[in-house]
This record gives sequence, structure tokens and C-alpha cells, in this order.
Amino acid sequence: MRSALAYTPRPGRLQAASAPAAAAYLGSIAVVAFVFSSPIVLAGAAAAVAVAGLAAGARRALAVSLRWGLWLGATLVVVNVLVTDRGETVLVRGYDVPVLGPMDVTLESLAAGGVLAMRIVVVTMAFAVWSACVDPDRVLRLVRPVARRSALTATLVSRMVPVAAGDLARLREAAELRGPGAAPIGHAALVRRLVGGSLDRALDVAATLELRGYALPGRVRAVRRRSRWDRRFVAAGVAIAAIAVGARLAGIGGFDTYPELAIEAGAATLVLSAALPVIAALPFARRRPRGAGLRTREAGAHD
Amino acid sequence: MTDRARVLEVGDLTYRYPGADRDALARVSVALAPGELVVLAGRSGSGKSTLIRAACGLVPHFHGGEVAGRVEVAGLDAREHGPGELARVVGVVSQDPESQIVSTTVRAEIELPLELRAEPAARRARAVEEVALALAIPALLDRTTDTLSGGELQRVALAAALVTRPPLVLLDEPTSQLDPVAGDELVWLLRRLNEQWGTTIVVCEHRLERCLGAADRAIAMRDGAVGFDGRPAEFLEWALANDPALATPGARLFDLAGLRPLPVGVREAREVLRDGRPDGDLARNPSGAAAPRPRERAKRSAAIRPPALTVEDLWIEFGQRDVLREVDLAIGAGERVALMGRNGAGKSTLLRAAAGAVKPARGRIEAPLGCALLSQTPDDFLVHERVADELPGEVGRRALEAADLGWAADVDPRDLSGGERQRLALAIVMAGRGEDEAAPGLVCLDEPTRGMDRARKDELAHRIRGLAGGATAVVVATHDVEFAARFAARVVLLGDGEVIADGPAADVLSGGWYFATEVARILDSDRAITPEQGAELLRASAPQPVEDG
Repeated sequence: MRSALAYTPRPGRLQAASAPAAAAYLGSIAVVAFVFSSPIVLAGAAAAVAVAGLAAGARRALAVSLRWGLWLGATLVVVNVLVTDRGETVLVRGYDVPVLGPMDVTLESLAAGGVLAMRIVVVTMAFAVWSACVDPDRVLRLVRPVARRSALTATLVSRMVPVAAGDLARLREAAELRGPGAAPIGHAALVRRLVGGSLDRALDVAATLELRGYALPGRVRAVRRRSRWDRRFVAAGVAIAAIAVGARLAGIGGFDTYPELAIEAGAATLVLSAALPVIAALPFARRRPRGAGLRTREAGAHD
Repeated sequence: MTDRARVLEVGDLTYRYPGADRDALARVSVALAPGELVVLAGRSGSGKSTLIRAACGLVPHFHGGEVAGRVEVAGLDAREHGPGELARVVGVVSQDPESQIVSTTVRAEIELPLELRAEPAARRARAVEEVALALAIPALLDRTTDTLSGGELQRVALAAALVTRPPLVLLDEPTSQLDPVAGDELVWLLRRLNEQWGTTIVVCEHRLERCLGAADRAIAMRDGAVGFDGRPAEFLEWALANDPALATPGARLFDLAGLRPLPVGVREAREVLRDGRPDGDLARNPSGAAAPRPRERAKRSAAIRPPALTVEDLWIEFGQRDVLREVDLAIGAGERVALMGRNGAGKSTLLRAAAGAVKPARGRIEAPLGCALLSQTPDDFLVHERVADELPGEVGRRALEAADLGWAADVDPRDLSGGERQRLALAIVMAGRGEDEAAPGLVCLDEPTRGMDRARKDELAHRIRGLAGGATAVVVATHDVEFAARFAARVVLLGDGEVIADGPAADVLSGGWYFATEVARILDSDRAITPEQGAELLRASAPQPVEDG
């Protein structure tokens, strides 16, 4: 079965958008996650990326990335609680941790870990939507004229990752199929074998690239494919980034964890949080037809 | 032929890979004219693939090594021009579809060579559409490459090789991973491209019966040198005299029956036989007895022998798709069974289920006396650096002896030949599965003949017969109908996850077109699927004994 994060060509505005437009759009939501610590604003950013993913048909990618993000986030919360005993609201006092000694669990360290977890969730989901909706070949085409070697490396890596994953699955099955009288295979031997095989595979892929003409001299012409939705995605991305930076400079969406929790939950913060998913939805909105509205113009996905 | 008219000219080419102790090519001279379709024959290790690599510049530019002599491709000297530059005039398709795809979508894959040549967008778009139409793959253009079957991947790789319209296309065992249907389709596609586009095509192939009929010329490699270069019919005479393993089943049938001229394809053979055919005795058995249904056969077989594999109402699903549906099968001890069907029919899944690597969604599958499965890539089983480390102790030593590898205990498994590596992998999966160091009750081999020449296939068939002689049932999933005819007593044909035929090899391998041997197609008889059986039938049905020669 294909990975939920694997790119799937399907008609859709985000899929049709150029790579820079999609990067501006999804990247701006990730920017919000890094600029703000307020759970209210981060919730808005999470809602924005969910809107983007659902509108683009990447429901499975969202679900899988949400699961990964929550696991990673939960781990971060636990680690943060274990290693930090700052904060004035003590929930559990003086439990003993080997090496670290007596520790307190504070509400503040719990909240700080929670904020980190929310950031992880937002960024992971944004990446998942990118991975499922943006054609990697378009990204490589964009990079190739300006950084040929980097594009070559990226091409090799992007090809080798699924090939190595397939090889690993086969090697694991072969290890399980060995007879009880054969020497068992440990993880180290398996990894060594995988790496050795991957080098051979990489050589094959490199030979294919050579035969396709990758080493031909001369500058590769940039391939620009635009979609009529590009402006909308860029505008939405710029708007999200501008509003986020402006709000940050204006002191909106403040949040402090230590020494005790202090959250700014005024109207401006709530409006900012609500605005994020609304702006994220705009590139997918259908324009009302002019005139009597009897005819609806179906928006084509591709140009 | 003038130099200008030659698409490929190889003169006195000698080549040795880095670190090798002998030449891979020895004073090879070959010249190809525009529009030829050439079959490159030869045993494994005879130099076929190296010659292909030399013709596209990978040798020596990519692989290194020592080279002497001359290679010119459409007027470009391969010593001065690397593979990237030669790619303007030569397209290459290799046997492994996985490692020759570098893009995410089919459209991007086909467009890449044009993009790297800075072709304008309009020209790229047109070239992609045209090559997709020529290869009947327009529906694949917007699919991602990881969702394609092996046959589809090969077509995409061929499209990427053809999109720049090179005058020369080289294919290295392009059908080795394809089922008989996809393999035949690819060969006829090449013939059509050759005729309509005038492209010179060189196909390196082991299953010559598949492509010799479509070829204008055959070149046979022997020990790195050109052993034969001429017309396909003459090649068959040469092969029978010098290297019988290279002769097609049809040629061997005619030779054994004392008939001439040797046929390069089924049509030619049938014409010869029609002209001088003794009578209608060769027609299929007209008894009209209804063939028993698979379930009835399964029960009957199970009643005859102690069961080595019992499958009842087996359903297996991957994701939302049923890969196997309502499969009933019983295989008795000592049976030799070929499991056949198109790519994706469920053959590998059935074998993996027998070995316990896949759990059924419904039904039952049991191998009561143990099951050893050798999957498609024997090298996956070779992990240690010494053969003896793979099979340690006294048990391992005896397993190596049984596999005729006792001498190789201190050798690195990767230094063994292909056949030896396969024997070692088989010994690894069987080790300790049977009682008292005996073989397990069931041994399954998944596509064991990929890339094998006929000599190695005969050796494998002999080994399978040896295992079955010791009461081990052997089930082999294979696309190779000729190999199935050589080892199997029974053939099970899967179609879209269901058993669609199950019976004696002579019945199943003679009853169709794609899943039938060349001899069965020539004679259209259910009494002969191998050259030996066919020759006996021809001799028996002749009004007078056929004179030898």
C-alpha cells in the first residue's frame, strides 16, 4: 500500500499550483507556528492547515501526520516535564528520577511541552499536505537550473528512499524465511546488507540519470508551469505571514510559561486565530458567477 | 555499407572490468545498419550486457576498466563522447524496471531527457504525447511511477528511451520480469516501432523463442567474442551445432524429428508442417470428457497422496483489494507444480501464505510437513561474509554438502556464480525445516529463473526433480512456460486471484496461446509440450519414418 504522504496526482487547485505558490501558502502557516507560542494562535494555525489539507483532498495525509505529530508531541511533553522543574504551580512534588535526582512536575513545564507539541503537529501536518499535494518533479525542475548538483542529489535521494524501503521490506522477509538451521540475522547485519545493496542501487540509478543526459553540458532551461490559482495561494500565504508578523510586533497573541502561565486571550488574539483558517480557505473558495447566478462555472483544476 | 550508413560500428573491441582477471569482451566487431532489429543471444556471462553498455558509453565512461578498439554510434566516437552525449543517438532499457525510473510521475519521467536537452516546452509536450501514443500509454501519463506494474514500468522506460527519437535503441533482457502476455506485447511493440519509425533495435534476450521470429538478424556471443552473426534461421543451425542451449524449442523439435528448414517462429513451423503434415492425428484429444473443476481436482489429488499443502476457501486482501479469492488447492507429497499467471495474479502471495508470511483474511492454508520459500531475489538471503557463516555447525556443513557447495565454505557468497548463490539461498531456507535433517514437506520457489540461461534452467529443473524424488512437493511460481514444461507434472493457472486452470502440465500448457509452450503452439496438440514429446509425436504420426537430416 502506498504511503499516505506519497504524492498522488489528482485534480485540485493546490495540486495544480506551481511549487513556489504552494510553498508560500503552506510555508506561511508553518511560519505562524514558529512565530507564536500562544495555544490559541497555534490552534488557529492547526485549523488553517487542516482546512488546506481537507480542501486539497489530503485527508489521509492529514490523519497520518496528526498521529505522528501527536506521538512526537507527547514524547516532547514527557521529556520537558522530566527535565524542567521550573514553574510555580507544582502538580507533583519531589519524585525521584535516576541521575537527575528529586524533581517537581509543574503546570508551567507541562504547558511549555504542550506548546512545543502543538508546533510539531502544525509543522508535520503542513509538510504532509505539501508532500501529498505538490509534485516533487516540479520542485526538482525548479531547483535544477539554479543548483544542478543539489537537484541531482535530491533526485537520487528521492528515488533511493522508496527503493531502499522496498529493499528493507524484502530483506526483513528473507530474514524471517530463513530455516531454523541457518544463522539468524540481527539488525546490524540487516542494516549492513541494506547499505551495501543501496550503494549498488544508487549506482544503477546514477547510470540511468547519466543515460537520460543529466551530465550534458549547458544550462537547463527553467520549466515554469503556472496555474491560474497561483495568485490566490501566494496572496493567502503573504496575507497569513504579514498578519502573523504584524500581530507579533503589535504584541497580540502573547503567552508566557515561566515563572507562571500568562496567556493573552483578548479579542485581537481570538480574531487572529479565527482569521487563519478563513484566509487558508480563500484559495479554494468558488467565485460567485456574475449576473443572475443561474450558470455556475466549474473551476478547472489544470490550466 | 558506408560508415555514414552505420548506426553502430564496433571494431576490435576488447574490454576488461576493473579488478577482473579476464576480458569481458575480446576483439568484438559488429556493424548495424539503420532499421535492423537484432537479437543478441548468448549464455549468462558471455558478454551481451557488456556489449550493450559499450554501445551506450557506460563502458568505459561509467564502469571504468581497460578498453581497446573502437565504438562509433551514429558517427559519434564513444571514446570521446560519454553516455550523456551518446544519449542523443542511443536509448537504453535495462532488465530491472525499478532502477531505471527516476521521476515521480510518468509524464515527468518521459519528459526528463528533453528537459535536460533544453528543448522548448511545446516540442517537449508534443514529443511526450507522440511517444505515449506510440507505446499505448497515454492513460499512464499522469500516474505516479510507484503505482505501475512491471510491464507498465518497462513501457515507460522504453518511452523515456525513445522520446528523443534516437536512431538506435538497446534493450537488455527487457522481458525477464514480464509475464508471457506483457513480454509478447513488448516484442511486437518493438517490431512495430522498428517498422514504422525505422529505429534500429538490439534486444538482448535469453528466451529467444519470444523474439527471434520478429528479428532480422541474430548475433550470438560466446566467451566475450562474437560466435555467430547472421540471419535467424542460420543462427538456429549454428546453435544446434555449437551451443544447443541457445536453440529455440521449435528448432529442437524440428531437429529431433529430422525436419528442415529450422523454423524461426511458430507460423513458419506450422507452414512447414502443414505442407508435409502426415495426418490429423496431432489434433487435441477429442474425447470430450469435461475437465474437472479445480475444487474436484484438489480433492482428488489430496486423496491420492499425503498432503504437502492444503488450501481451503482462502481469501487474502491487501488494503481494500482481494489478492486471492476463494482458492481451493491440495498438493500432495512429491508433486512438481508450476504456479502460473499474469503479473499481479496472486502467485507470490499464495506462496507467501503457504510459508506463513501472509495471514489469510478468510479460509485455511496449511503445510503440515513444513514449508520453505525461496523468494524472488536469492541475494536477499546472503548476508554474511562467508558461506559457512550462513549455515553454521555440523547441520550447516551437511546442508552445504547437499547443495554441492561444501567446497565453498570460506568463500564470500557474493563471489559465487548466480546458480551457486541460488543453491545456497535454497539451502538456507530449507535448513532445519524437515525432520532429521530431511527436506521439508513443501519447497516453494518464486520466479527462480529470472535472467537465467537455458543451461542453468535445466540444472534447476534437475534439482527440483531430485527434491520431488525424495517426497518433497515443489511449487514454482514462474512466467517461463518452457521451464514449466521441463520440470512440472502439474500446472495451476491463477487469474486475478482465482484458480482458473489446474491440471496436468500437458493439458494446461497446450490449451492456450500465451500460457502454452512453443511446441504446443506449433503442433496444436495436448500430447506434446516439449521438443522431445513433439518429435516423438511427429515420428509416430508420420506415414513413413522420417529420415534424419
